[in-house]
Amino acid sequence: MAHPSQLGFQDAASPVMEELLHFHDHALMIVFLISTLVLYIILAMVSTKLTNKYILDSQEIEIIWTVLPAIILILIALPSLRILYLMDEINDPHLTIKAMGHQWYWSYEYTDYEALGFDSYMIPTQDLTPGQFRLLETDHRMVIPVESPIRVLVSAEDVLHSWAVPSLGVKMDAVPGRLNQTAFITSRPGLFYGQCSEICGANHSFMPIVVEAVPLEHFENWSSLMLEDA
Amino acid sequence: MSGEEEESKNKGFRLLGILDVQNTPCARDAILHGAGGSLAAGLLHFLATSRVKRSFDVGFAGFMLTTLGSWFYCRINNAKLRVQQRMIQDGMKNKVMYEGTVLDPTNKSRAETPSSPS
Repeated sequence: MAHPSQLGFQDAASPVMEELLHFHDHALMIVFLISTLVLYIILAMVSTKLTNKYILDSQEIEIIWTVLPAIILILIALPSLRILYLMDEINDPHLTIKAMGHQWYWSYEYTDYEALGFDSYMIPTQDLTPGQFRLLETDHRMVIPVESPIRVLVSAEDVLHSWAVPSLGVKMDAVPGRLNQTAFITSRPGLFYGQCSEICGANHSFMPIVVEAVPLEHFENWSSLMLEDA
Repeated sequence: MSGEEEESKNKGFRLLGILDVQNTPCARDAILHGAGGSLAAGLLHFLATSRVKRSFDVGFAGFMLTTLGSWFYCRINNAKLRVQQRMIQDGMKNKVMYEGTVLDPTNKSRAETPSSPS
């Protein structure tokens, strides 16, 4: 989860998010160098003694400031397109989960083998136990097996919502009447937090998402327990 | 207590308020190499020409080129290491999963050596 006053991304928990982090570092370094260049040019312009007002054109500098931005754009676009297509690869998911957005909670349906479904409400602040995170914890988490490709079908029952988990690099709009698909693989076990990312009413900020990645045996035990309780 | 220490580490130093030099891989080395290259280029040009402003310009150009060069060199090496790491991880996983079966990757060497007729 994010820590207070965090500016950067959370640690990556999926290969796609790792690639996104690397691309972000790459683009940020280019942005930093361009900013440094502009700052230097401003300082040079302010302190120059060259005040010729009658220069009309200059082929050399016009070539430079046309070719250089084109090269910079290519340097940014190539890794960007690579990641774009990487994110769209079909990866033969082991499990399909439907995440349905409601006002103001998420419901998850595991219907591959048995009909398992449950609602996931935020735990109110007054009911938190020590060590739990305010506005992020839910009563039922979306449990998935670690290192398995997971397909999530996202939709909504009433208004627009958005299912987002930043550390997995996943965000997908939940549109009523439409089924959106996203997929991810968790690289490590753990708890991954997210929040609804599309304004959906008074309690938009109070319908978080918690993904719990566990080893396969634990996932099987959990699903058996959930089916018994249902 | 440990959370407070982590927070003070994470707040780190950002160049121009955007580049987190401490936590971005290769950034610190690239900036340091750039600073060194800038100093070297600017100083050499000044010693050769005694032109102050132009030496600053050359120094800045040296900074840009050295930073970019060091950055891309480090990033390419890191990318190769990551690919190798993933291949090793997949190989270890396949070895554990398929050990003793036909698909065992270590069985290929045995399959390739011709067996003598009995």
